[in-house]
Amino acid sequence: MIPKSLRSFLRSGRFAALAIGGLAALTGCAADAPLDTLAPKGPISRSIDSLSDPVFLVAGVVFVIIFGATAVIWWKFRDDHSTDEFPEQVHGHFRAEIGWTIGPAVIMAVIAVFTLISHFDLNGQDRTDIVVSVDGERTSWDPEVVIVGQQWWWEFRYYFDGLEGVDLSDARHLPPADIVTANQLVIPTGSEIGLKILSRDVIHSYWIPALNGKRDAVPGRVAPWKIEAETPGVYFGQCTEFCGLSHARMQMQTIAVDPADFQTWIDEQIQPAVEATNAAAVRGQTVFEGQCARCHVVNGMNDGGGADLVANAAPNLTHLMSRTTFAGGIFNLYEPDGSLNRTQLEAWLRNAPAEKPAYAEGRRGMPAMGLSESQIDDVVAYLQTLGAAPDMDVIAATEVD
Amino acid sequence: MSKTMEIEAPARPIGVYTRPKGNTGWRDWITTVDHKKIGILYGATAMIFFAIGGLEALLIRLQLATPNGTVLGADTYNRVFTMHGVTMVFLVIMPLAAAFANYLLPLQIGARDVAFPRLNALSFWVFLAGGLFLNMAWIVGDAPDGGWFAYAPNTGMIFSPGKGMDYYALGLQITGIASLVSAMNLIVTVLNMRAPGMTLFKMPVFTWMILVVQFLLLFAVPVITVALFLLMFDRNFGANFFNPEMGADPLLWQHLFWIFGHPEVYILILPSFGIISEVIPTFSRKPLFGYPFMVFSGIAIGFMGWGVWAHHMFVSGIGPISVAAFSVSTMFIAVPTGVKILNWLATMWGGKIRFNTPMLFATGVVSMFTIGGLSGVTHSLAPADTQQTDTYYIVAHFHYVIFGGSLLGIFAGFYFWWPKVFGHLLGEKLGKWNFWLMIIGFNMTFGPMHILGLQGMSRRIDSYSPGFGFEFWNMFASIGSFVIALGVLMFVINIITSARKARTAPPVGLDPWDARSLEWFTPNPTPAHNFDDDIQVSSLDEFWHRKYGEDENGRVVRVATAEEVCQDGSATDTHLPSPSYWPVILAAGLPFVAFGLIYTLWFCVLGGILIFMGIYGWIFEPVDDPDGPHGHHDDGDVHDEPSDEVSTETAEEAPVG
Repeated sequence: MIPKSLRSFLRSGRFAALAIGGLAALTGCAADAPLDTLAPKGPISRSIDSLSDPVFLVAGVVFVIIFGATAVIWWKFRDDHSTDEFPEQVHGHFRAEIGWTIGPAVIMAVIAVFTLISHFDLNGQDRTDIVVSVDGERTSWDPEVVIVGQQWWWEFRYYFDGLEGVDLSDARHLPPADIVTANQLVIPTGSEIGLKILSRDVIHSYWIPALNGKRDAVPGRVAPWKIEAETPGVYFGQCTEFCGLSHARMQMQTIAVDPADFQTWIDEQIQPAVEATNAAAVRGQTVFEGQCARCHVVNGMNDGGGADLVANAAPNLTHLMSRTTFAGGIFNLYEPDGSLNRTQLEAWLRNAPAEKPAYAEGRRGMPAMGLSESQIDDVVAYLQTLGAAPDMDVIAATEVD
Repeated sequence: MSKTMEIEAPARPIGVYTRPKGNTGWRDWITTVDHKKIGILYGATAMIFFAIGGLEALLIRLQLATPNGTVLGADTYNRVFTMHGVTMVFLVIMPLAAAFANYLLPLQIGARDVAFPRLNALSFWVFLAGGLFLNMAWIVGDAPDGGWFAYAPNTGMIFSPGKGMDYYALGLQITGIASLVSAMNLIVTVLNMRAPGMTLFKMPVFTWMILVVQFLLLFAVPVITVALFLLMFDRNFGANFFNPEMGADPLLWQHLFWIFGHPEVYILILPSFGIISEVIPTFSRKPLFGYPFMVFSGIAIGFMGWGVWAHHMFVSGIGPISVAAFSVSTMFIAVPTGVKILNWLATMWGGKIRFNTPMLFATGVVSMFTIGGLSGVTHSLAPADTQQTDTYYIVAHFHYVIFGGSLLGIFAGFYFWWPKVFGHLLGEKLGKWNFWLMIIGFNMTFGPMHILGLQGMSRRIDSYSPGFGFEFWNMFASIGSFVIALGVLMFVINIITSARKARTAPPVGLDPWDARSLEWFTPNPTPAHNFDDDIQVSSLDEFWHRKYGEDENGRVVRVATAEEVCQDGSATDTHLPSPSYWPVILAAGLPFVAFGLIYTLWFCVLGGILIFMGIYGWIFEPVDDPDGPHGHHDDGDVHDEPSDEVSTETAEEAPVG
């Protein structure tokens, strides 16, 4: 069976890339390789791609020359034992050697020029304000999102008054934000979005390959970065700096939406949780307040609460249902038909460490809460009141395996 | 010096201060100070660790063969990949290079032994102690799990409360001592003990590369020692060097680690470059193309290797200016490396090449390292690296460098020098199986990792979901890893069968490869005293030039047979450094000190006693066995052909204990 990646590679004509390691394939289409680094979906990632493509080509040419020469040597200069005579004893060739010292140096110098231009461009900023309406007030937002990594999930914080004056120096005690969400970053299309990447514990790395390269989240530091998406869509990511036990299970998505939809999303997310009404949800809320609220914040219930965890944070659940994944972006919150993925959610509430390796006893990760089955049912009923379910197409596009 | 000793003959030592005698049996292996035996010990030990590291690699590939792998589980997987990296870097490639350096370096410069034979023994035993200590972590069930570069603060007490990272921090400090001691020893040896007439630019390239590596070790190992020492203080004594909560910057660890770690890459690769610079001319029947360029490019790599460390940190937030500087410096380190590749090709070009197994492995290095070098160039583009780093693309890159470059070169060396060391050849047929299985398996395993990385597969993930397009190539790579294992198995079988055959077959002869450098002046295997007489060196490839001359048309003609040129190893009563108990005793103390720091300080007392005994005994045992032979002309006053160049650059006396 030839994987799709191979077929699309053969079509794409990037044969030069064969150079690198006898590759048989390089690119996959987004459908079967959502983390593909060679399928840029925004101007920033495209600038990286257009820098590296010609260098892959140069490398390919060098590869062909070296391997061609090796092949010639292999066939032509093999000792056929026809005579005992020695070949000509060449000790070197000064001019040739100077040539192949200076030649590559010149090639590298040319590559260096393009690299530096691209590099400073990548590290520059070119943001324009976006007009958004927050709580009915129109405000000009310098689009920057605070991204906080911790073992093993990502938090996204929106401050619509801008980050000026927002003290980011202590990632474990950040000032209240307008919107706090997890694992799925929502951005408007067509705008460069600035990122301020922080960490609450160890080093993580925030990476959405289709939109930009990665940037580490280093505790004690604020790392500036940026992304931009051209078209609405879901762009997958994966923590790429080894961050301990569940590094593999620290995934994230960026959902790019039209500016109008982005406004709708803000309007929704800015609301505090609505009071539960049905009996099961009310009982669930009681359990939640007694157990879950020690770590998880639900706006309007325990605003500004911290978590009894090393990172001092657990995902804000005010609009849990508006998200489609949970537990570090590794489980679907919804079935493909749009119904709640009750089995997985209940399993998580029953014994989280069994579903995703964590050091719960070291206060890193959600512990097994010891809830009874009826309590679990009630908590699920309560959680379902937190936020509105997204559209079916979002559920389909964000599905994880 | 030995003369002075004789004049001031000290009182005859008694009891434990008597130096051990004899050169047979296990006791000899424990007490030997013979650089050749120490070289063999290094090699054998490293190959055992190679088996362990290889087993870890196979476990990794089993876990990743299918999506959502369940062979290991996240926790065990993290420990296995950490130990795989630590083992292969510190306990396999480095000591294998040390094996070749120990065995060959004195022979290549025409010396009796290294400058400080007891220190040489100490290096080995300390390395063994460190390696065993590191692997003890498996036995106590708490192997390190922070990755081989152990980024802070994930390795601090809060995030890694087990004992694993203590084993890492202390174990590598111990092996670091071994590297430092050995580095100083070999530097002194090369600079002071070369045969008469062997100026620096008549030294074989292998010796040159080993010399460069020793300087790299001398300056790089202290840096990681500092880092490990700080980590040890953080973990064991409550310091906060890497604790961001107390205001520390975790990037300090990264800088310290990579200021060591990047020169380390060249520490791993240059010995292999040296080996194939010996193998390729021999089998091409031509001198090395551009010897001065080869030497200077090696030195240039050694220097430039210090200016590129932060390319490991392009995405860690060191700032755009730093990234720009290191991006450019990294591009230019490709230049001397490229020179080497082209010079090897030019050496082969126009040759009459015999593709024996050593040559197959050497050509393997040239091509596979080229691939690793080219992918390295793509990393040097900082913007591109933000996509590539910490993915399988980088895993592919460094395996092409370290496996394709270092390890294949070491295998070339095994096949090339096996007759020198053991007196018989390794089988050609099995050797070819070994080579082809390894090179095919290697490309099957690591070639697809380029694709996986560019498709976005992160390194160090213990499992992946279906749906990212990772399934096919991971399975492919896992199959490849078992082909490599099969190739290594061929090597093991080859060792056994060739040793068996050698019992009945005629001896290998003096010069099985029509070789070029000084080590081939001695019979095979090398006698304990190496050379019967000093060799007067007048050119690079002295051995070859004694065998061949030019006729009036400039054609190469044979002027002497190997039998006429070689020494017969018949010298008797040579003055050799005496064996010693103390290096192994001193080395044995170090793991106990380390255990003490992890568990209870009482172990430190035990370790301290052993170390103290070792040093004390070392000082008070006689510098020589007073009953040992002093008959042969070892005293430095005999020179067949005195030369002007000799006086300052060479030392001819036998090394003293």
